[in-house]
Amino acid sequence: MAALTDLEPALTELGPSIAVRSEKAAVTWRPSRHARRLVTLAIAALLLAVISRRPELAGVAGPPLLLLGLGRVSRGGLEDQLEIRVGLTATRVYEGEPAGVDVTVAGGEHDARWVFEAGKGIEPTSATSVNGHAVRFTFTVDRWGKRKLGKVTLSLHDRWRLSEGRVAFTLPAIDVYPSPAVQRTQVVLSKLPNRLGEHRARVPGEGVEFTGVREFVPGDRQRAINWPATTRRGRLQVNTFAAERSQDVVLLVDATSDVGAPGESALDLALRGAAGAARAYLAGRDRVGVITYQWGGARWLAPSLGRRQEYKIIDVLIDADTGYTRGAVFSRLPRAALPPGSLVVVFSPLLDNRFVEALRDMRERGFALIVVDVLNAEPPRKRAFADSAARRVWHLEQQAIRFSLRELGVPVVTWDGKAPLDIPLAPLTRRPLVTRR
Amino acid sequence: MTQPAAPRPAAPRLISSAGPRLAALLLGAACVAWAATPLAYRGLAQTALFIAVVAVVAGGLRLALADIPQPDDYYLQSGYQRSWLVFLGLLRTWPWEEIVAVAALIVEVQHPARPWHTAALGAGLAAYLLVTHIAESNADPAPVLRRQVKLLAVGACLLALGAGFAMLPAAAPGAGAGLLRVLAAAAVIAATALVLPA
Repeated sequence: MAALTDLEPALTELGPSIAVRSEKAAVTWRPSRHARRLVTLAIAALLLAVISRRPELAGVAGPPLLLLGLGRVSRGGLEDQLEIRVGLTATRVYEGEPAGVDVTVAGGEHDARWVFEAGKGIEPTSATSVNGHAVRFTFTVDRWGKRKLGKVTLSLHDRWRLSEGRVAFTLPAIDVYPSPAVQRTQVVLSKLPNRLGEHRARVPGEGVEFTGVREFVPGDRQRAINWPATTRRGRLQVNTFAAERSQDVVLLVDATSDVGAPGESALDLALRGAAGAARAYLAGRDRVGVITYQWGGARWLAPSLGRRQEYKIIDVLIDADTGYTRGAVFSRLPRAALPPGSLVVVFSPLLDNRFVEALRDMRERGFALIVVDVLNAEPPRKRAFADSAARRVWHLEQQAIRFSLRELGVPVVTWDGKAPLDIPLAPLTRRPLVTRR
Repeated sequence: MTQPAAPRPAAPRLISSAGPRLAALLLGAACVAWAATPLAYRGLAQTALFIAVVAVVAGGLRLALADIPQPDDYYLQSGYQRSWLVFLGLLRTWPWEEIVAVAALIVEVQHPARPWHTAALGAGLAAYLLVTHIAESNADPAPVLRRQVKLLAVGACLLALGAGFAMLPAAAPGAGAGLLRVLAAAAVIAATALVLPA
């Protein structure tokens, strides 16, 4: 029997992959359809030979019987177990990004046929096989979430194709991250916490951005002396610079309602927007945290720095569940997830009144809020008067919710999910966001 | 995230799978036509012929439509789609190839004894079943046939043996009958040599 280590060349030919499982699977052998047909042919020929007393019909039964007998004799060499290795080209992918799953089988020489039954939401694109022992199925996933890849069935045939063995094994799940929205600019608060960062603060400090010139006082660095100004004024002048600080950003994702077409629903847009914002703020050396607000409670991740935090944030995001849990009550968002003075970027369709109340509560507690409205669906148009009236009332309610938030000093911008996030946020990114209590 | 290797261009699967399917259909039709020639009008001949023709067509359709997936749930389908799925299910449930084999043999029996003709029908039916299996399992025909070439030769010998044995009482004593006996003995020896494990 060939071991998995003997199949290294086949794996090399397929390309790199991360081994996620290696196990022995039992093979179930049974007579193939071909064998059953041969039995039928032989029995029919023999019966007709006896009934019609014609020996040439017995001759017709000869080849099938010979083949079946040979298959019976050689059946002892069939293997009961196969060693299987399952590998993934990536354990995490973004929506629409191609990925592959490799399946390698170590065993005897058989005619093997692979069947990939893709799981829900998995779109198979191609399959590449190497000598029947290793195969790579490539696929894409169009929507975020934790997706089960499906099942692979390996059909084996013996030399005479009279016995058929089947091995079925379930493929692992894969994390599909929402495709992050494009965001290059950042909203920066006017009042930043006293922590080193990359945003220009209003207070003087040790940054690189020039703010002015003042008279030299003992203790100033010599390298900061502005010699042209010193020459003009006759006294030592030094350059002053703005301090560079970082901010705390909390992304608040409303997962209480998921309206719209799958793939472009409000929750899809909210997660993509949040992923894009997380990437943008983390790239600016800000501490970023996340809260997903959903039925049954809120999941949160305290603000932190770094690339690792981006993946941790998206892991929290893809756990967002819109499933309804009766009796869930939200009065306040968790304090531990909301450092004082942090910027809160909210992605919500603003359909749930309790969530809107939570936003008002946060605003009254002094947090700087920006709401990115991701509602891109509306009630269907119908001709009945009652329907159109209800639709107008619904529109008025939505306008009222947004108006009330703006009145509290919460900017509400609309994002359609296609344009970069920079466009709706442009009025807020041009200058520091001033927040008043 | 690691980008997977670019998939290599797939072989022209449609053409490669269409060949065995067409061959199976043609072989089935040829077997039925061979068994039915000349047309017999007695006994079960016409009924068996009709069943054989229907089974050949249904078997060909089953192979041709083998790649169409069948959904698990019928409830959300329209009436036309349900009818189509029921038809597909019928095609996939019935053992059409077995029906072809049995019906062709019954048609053959309706004719007067003709050993070599029957032997050729047996060879045709065995080939029809093998090609059908190759077509439905999407196997590469060349390696499968290469592995079974010895066995196919032995099968042909057995068929010749059967046909020769059937002709023995009718053959007049002389050089021809002697040659037939020698051929039959050679076929038996060849079959034994190939069947015994090495």
